[in-house]
Amino acid sequence: MSASISLHGVTLDYAIYSVRAQSLRNAVLNMAVGGKLMRSANDVTVVRAINNVSFERLGLGGHNGSGKTSMLKILAGVYEPSTGVVRVEGRVSSMISMSIGLDHDASGLQNIKNLAMMQMMSKKEIARRLPGIVEFSELGAYIHMPFKTYSAGMMARLTFAVATAMDADILIMDEWLGAGDAEFQRKATTRMAGLVDNAKIVVIASHDDKLIERVCNKVMVMDGGRATFFGDTEEWLRLKA
Amino acid sequence: MSIVRRFGSAIDDLVAGIRLAPLWWRVGIEQTIARYRRTLLGPFWLASSTIATAFSLAVVFGSIFGSSLAESFPFIMSGVVAWSITGGMLAEGASVFTSGAGIMQVQKLPLTFHSFLQINRMMINFAHQIVAFWVVMLLLRMFPLPHWQLLLSIPLVAATAVMFSIPIGMLATRYRDINYLVGFIGQALFMLTPVFWRKAQVAPKARWIADYNPFAHLLEIVRQPLLGHPAPLNDWIASVAFFVAVAILAVVSLALFRRRVVFWL
Repeated sequence: MSASISLHGVTLDYAIYSVRAQSLRNAVLNMAVGGKLMRSANDVTVVRAINNVSFERLGLGGHNGSGKTSMLKILAGVYEPSTGVVRVEGRVSSMISMSIGLDHDASGLQNIKNLAMMQMMSKKEIARRLPGIVEFSELGAYIHMPFKTYSAGMMARLTFAVATAMDADILIMDEWLGAGDAEFQRKATTRMAGLVDNAKIVVIASHDDKLIERVCNKVMVMDGGRATFFGDTEEWLRLKA
Repeated sequence: MSIVRRFGSAIDDLVAGIRLAPLWWRVGIEQTIARYRRTLLGPFWLASSTIATAFSLAVVFGSIFGSSLAESFPFIMSGVVAWSITGGMLAEGASVFTSGAGIMQVQKLPLTFHSFLQINRMMINFAHQIVAFWVVMLLLRMFPLPHWQLLLSIPLVAATAVMFSIPIGMLATRYRDINYLVGFIGQALFMLTPVFWRKAQVAPKARWIADYNPFAHLLEIVRQPLLGHPAPLNDWIASVAFFVAVAILAVVSLALFRRRVVFWL
C-alpha cells in the first residue's frame, strides 16, 4: 500500500475558553444579555490556510506557539481542521506524547503491553514483539518491577522501546526521540534512523535545524499559524544563510 | 460542512467505535485491574458497598413499610444492583470525555470509543455486583433463578448508557458545572426512583414520579428478571423508547459537536 498525506486549504481555529466561559452560570447569563458576555471566549486561529501541500520527509520549523504541534495533531487526526481537507493514507504512528496511558503501579512488562495495546497491536503481535521490546529496553529483571520504581532514564528507555517497536507507513514526531545514557542514546539513534528509513512518510517538528537538514527533504516553517515557508530543504538552507 | 456530511461522519464515528470493540474491551479490563491493584477484594469492594447499602435500606425501610427482611432484602438489593447501571449512567456519562482527556489529545480515536470504554468499565463493575448478589442470595437460601429477559435487558441498558453518555458527556465537558449537577441529580433520582420502595406503596397522586421517570423503567427491566420474573411490557416499551430518544440525541450531538469536544477538554 502506498502512503500519502496531502492538505488542501486547511485551517484550524478553535475557541479558547476562559474559566468564566466554561461555567454554566455565564452561559445562562449570556443568553439573557444576548451573547455579549461570551466574547471572552477568544476564537484563535492556530493554523491558517495551508494549501496544496504533500510531502514525504517533512520538517516543521518555527518558534514556540507557532502552530507546529497543532499541525502535527491535524496530521495525526487528533484535530479535525475547521475547513479544508486532510487526506492521510497508510498506518500512522504518532509519537506526540508517549507517557499517556502509563500505569505507575503496574510492572514494566504490563506497561509495555498496555502501550502496545493502545498502538492497536493485536495480542498476537504483542506476544511476538514483547521479547524484542524487553531486550531493547535493557531493563533486565527490572521489567517485572513496578514502573514507579524506575529512574527517569529507565522510564524513558521503556517508552522509547515500545514507541519504536512497530512499523508504520507514516511517522509523526514532536521532536526527535532519544533516551537514556550515552550508550543507549547511540542505540536509540540507530533505531530511529532505521525507523525513519523504513517509513514512507515522516513528519517531524523540531527546533533542531541540523536534524531537519539530515532527515527531511521538505521544510515548512510556521509563524503565527501561517506557513511562511514551504519548499525543499536546500532552498530553506539557502534562505537561512 | 453540509448537514448530510455531518450526519454521515457522526454515523461513521459510531461505527468506528463499535469496530474498536477488541480495544475497549481489553483496555476496560486492564483499567479495572489497575484501579483495584493491591486491594484484596478488587471490584468486589464496590459490590460490598452495594450489599451494605441494600442491607441498611432493607432493615430501615423493611420495618417502616412493615415487611420482613426476607421479603425486602432481595427486592432492595436487586434494586441497588440494577441502579448501578441505570442511574449509574448519569455520573459515568458525565465524566466520559474528561476521563479520556489524556488519550484524546494525542491519539486519533473515534469519539464514541471513549463512551464504549467508559460503559464497558461500568458493566464490568456491574458483573461483579451481580455475582455478589447471587452469592448473598445463595447464602441466605433465597436464590432466585434469573429470568431469560435479563439477556435482553442488560444489552439494552448498556446500549442506552453508551448513547446517553455522548450528549451528557459533551455538556459536562463544555460546562464544568454539569458534573456537580449530575452528582446531586443522581442522588435525588435514587430516592425518587422505586429502588428501595414500591410504586404501590406511594399515594396514587405521587406515582407519576415513577411513571415519567425513564430510569424507573430501565430499573424494572433489569430488576424483575434478576428476581426471576418477566418485566411488565410497559417498562419494556418505555425503555426501548428511551433508548431511541437518546440514540437520536447522541447522533445529533455527534453531528453538531463531535469535532469540537477535544478543544473543550
